[in-house]
Amino acid sequence: MPTRHNNPDSNQTINRRNVIVTIGSAGAAGLAGCSGQSDDSDGSDGSDSEGMFPLDVRLETNADNDDRVQLLELIAESMEQTDYFNATIETFEWNTYVGRVLDPEYQENGYIPCIGLSGTFNPGSFCNALHYSENVGACCNLNGINDPELDEMIDAARYGPEVAADNELRGERYDEVWNYLAEERYSSITHFGLETAVTSTDIHGYSVYPFNEGVMSYAMYAPQDEQVMWIDRENAATEGDDDLADLVEGGALAGGLGANIESFDPPHSSDTTSTMAQNFIFEGLTTSDRQGNVYPWLAESYELLDATEVSESDYADYMSTVGTTEEGAIDTDEQVIIQHPEDNPAEDDEVRVLLSGDAVEAAEDGTYGMHYRYDLREGVQFHNGDELTASDVVATYEYAENSQLAPQTFDSVLAVVEEDEYTVDIYAQIADAEAERLLPSLLILNENQIAEVEKGSLDPREGNEPVGTGPYEFSEFEDEQYFEVTKFDDYWVENVGVSEAFDWFDGSSEFPDGPVIDSFELEIVPDNSTRSAALQEGEIDLTYGLNTGTLDDFDSSEDFILYSTEAGGYTYIQYPVNVEPFDDRRVRQAINHLVPRQQIVDNVLNGFASPAWTDIPSLARGSGTADYEELEDEVRPTNEFDPERAVELLEEVAAEN
Amino acid sequence: MSLQRFIVKRALSIIPIMFGVSVITFGMFHLTPGDPVSQLVALNPDVSAAEEAALRERWGLDGPVWQQYLDWISNVLVGDFGQELRTGREVSDIVWRRLPETIALGLFGWAFALVIAIPAGIYAAVNKGKLGDTVSRFLALSGISIPNFWLGLMLILIFSLYLGVFPVLAPSEPLYHPDMLWYLILPGITIGTASAASIMRVMRTSMTEELNKEYVTAARAKGLPERTVILKHVLRNSLISVVTLAATLTASIVAGSVVVEVVFNWPGLGREFINAINQREINVVMAITLFTGFFVILANFVADIVYAALDPRIRYD
Repeated sequence: MPTRHNNPDSNQTINRRNVIVTIGSAGAAGLAGCSGQSDDSDGSDGSDSEGMFPLDVRLETNADNDDRVQLLELIAESMEQTDYFNATIETFEWNTYVGRVLDPEYQENGYIPCIGLSGTFNPGSFCNALHYSENVGACCNLNGINDPELDEMIDAARYGPEVAADNELRGERYDEVWNYLAEERYSSITHFGLETAVTSTDIHGYSVYPFNEGVMSYAMYAPQDEQVMWIDRENAATEGDDDLADLVEGGALAGGLGANIESFDPPHSSDTTSTMAQNFIFEGLTTSDRQGNVYPWLAESYELLDATEVSESDYADYMSTVGTTEEGAIDTDEQVIIQHPEDNPAEDDEVRVLLSGDAVEAAEDGTYGMHYRYDLREGVQFHNGDELTASDVVATYEYAENSQLAPQTFDSVLAVVEEDEYTVDIYAQIADAEAERLLPSLLILNENQIAEVEKGSLDPREGNEPVGTGPYEFSEFEDEQYFEVTKFDDYWVENVGVSEAFDWFDGSSEFPDGPVIDSFELEIVPDNSTRSAALQEGEIDLTYGLNTGTLDDFDSSEDFILYSTEAGGYTYIQYPVNVEPFDDRRVRQAINHLVPRQQIVDNVLNGFASPAWTDIPSLARGSGTADYEELEDEVRPTNEFDPERAVELLEEVAAEN
Repeated sequence: MSLQRFIVKRALSIIPIMFGVSVITFGMFHLTPGDPVSQLVALNPDVSAAEEAALRERWGLDGPVWQQYLDWISNVLVGDFGQELRTGREVSDIVWRRLPETIALGLFGWAFALVIAIPAGIYAAVNKGKLGDTVSRFLALSGISIPNFWLGLMLILIFSLYLGVFPVLAPSEPLYHPDMLWYLILPGITIGTASAASIMRVMRTSMTEELNKEYVTAARAKGLPERTVILKHVLRNSLISVVTLAATLTASIVAGSVVVEVVFNWPGLGREFINAINQREINVVMAITLFTGFFVILANFVADIVYAALDPRIRYD
């Protein structure tokens, strides 16, 4: 019988005072059976797990994240106190850790890893990455969860013409997923992070967007939520004071960025700081509010013309056969849109792929999952005086081929076709409820500009100042130092007026026709303490991403306002479901009841997080549940800290052996 | 051996040293886990294995380490330091853009160190055993022991936050602007303090030694004023060891810039270096390492020459 694994490449064991591995008196000799490939069963087969408890359990995470290490200490401590577990914590350097947990064989160790992910408005981002069987060995199904029933449920909540057209149905299907997960408990999400920002009291009307990249641009002007910020250095702001009657126009705002702007080339950069800067200059076909609802923006309107039941292999007729390299890359310079699901580039010498040129043909022949039509607004001016037309949109998507955003973009986009000067059709690969958000996700570039620049060099460092349709135009950028934008005089929303521009706008008549601040200067200050000092000194008015310790000081100061909102980032631990006794769901449920979620949030994260009573944070509830309150009533009891219930479950398991 | 031959010989020895530096750095870099591709895509569920492999191939990260090294070194020998992988920008452009910032900071720190340390060393030696000597030795010991990131943060806390004398962020001005020079004082002090402390201690020791020599007694007996004895005779002789030390300390100033540039938000090579390591941008890391290595060797080289100028007795062999 196998005994506990000792992994040779572990570099640091933390044996906390109360987490010391104690060899139990009797029966400690029989440890966890790690047969590795045992089938998922209800655990009633206890033939080789006699005297299973106390069980040695190892929790793992990356050493540089103190919060994670501390929350594991709390979990380990409550596990120890049941006397059913001897818990140890092992930590690793970040890159080592990622390489380790993404190894498909990691699941055989029987460890409980802890890692963080960032979710999006897509409710699937809170269940798919962790649990979907295809994500074993990829991000981030670390312990080899392979549950066909769950896979099917997750797919059913996102794909197919039915859910794509019916948000209510979609919510119901996700509710099934959450309930199923509450029962199976393959993973325990501990908490959702907060997005925070601190402003001086000169900034009025601020509110923080749940995603980092919108921390400045969303606050400056977002009619979909009737959001606008302004500067008034005479009167001090208080939180929630956003009376439009007091609005002051003009002024220059100084903000602090937490990293350098790596690139001004939207599809050729994927870091949030770059996106933050690009959001001043560029705009998309659509925009979204804080709940992820989509509104037409550069497109005056859009509609779903058709959705069909089509699968990836239905594109086989349009696919080309392409060779692969030794390393398992597909040997082509063209953008691969779809890879035939039956071919594997790592093993086969040739694979069938749908290339970008052929994808247009497929779409025009009627092979597509969805067909969206976007009617562009007339009279939208780029900063260089060009008018926005359909060919700018088509050129933008071509420019994004093989870029850093290509994996996300061409995960859903099949083809983009110019219908007439102001009409563009975007086709989705399969009927997908996320398509409404994903298809128009690129920032629209100027066709004439990108025709001249080499891919990836739309950047002032390469002598190309970015040109968009946004409310601010590029003014100055000094690498690693500062970035400045000034108001664009010919901004289209301002030219037509907000209520004229957006037929969905139903806000106050006092709401301005565009952002009111004249210029933004963003100082690039990567060091958190230096950025916080600059804010204290009044050298900047606004920043984000400060250390939680500092946030308390700003919160209690009268000169600053701390804003926070629940965001998409989450932290989870995942059980080694293929290793005894974790294949018994009662063991997983028991440990889940030993995760002190409230205590983790209060003590480890200083209150700057929210406990994960369900698996979805508020931002994903728009399409992630039919009725959130009902869902929370059902699921929350299974996620409460309840050592008694945990012991009951463990007694049951022990008694059966 | 003549001075010329010495220079030629030393200059030639730079080649094997630089070669060694490049091999070791390149090798060590590949021992650390992760590469730019894993940094970029590790936790992105949308990136497929085939796309990851394609990226490695495009960036030349797919071959064995020795082959990657040979590719790299053969480009370097013709003056091509390669590109930053994620952005495709020329590494040499990045280094040239950052270099003036680091040189300005380094010069400031170095000047601060000398200006403080030499008078303090003289004072301590002349007043050996008295209170002033004890105090300056205590300060020197503290200067060596205090980590410079902490010193930097404390200086910001006291002079920027409490007293408001200096801004926290560098002004958005060109390097030669007076506001910029004013801003450089705190980072300059931070980077120069440890060196100042070492120089002061050496200055004090060698001066004390010189003061005990017979020529000093002779000079005093001749009736020269004490001031002339110390500044003209003793100082010149004791400076020899200080010069050597000051040159070797340029290395620690360059190394110190890595931390100080982060704390003071100074856009120099040090900050670039940290970013490059975090992003596993090997070409940037290699270029900065080589550059720094070359600079340190050069500083030592110059020290040897100046040494001879100060002390004609020194011969090269």
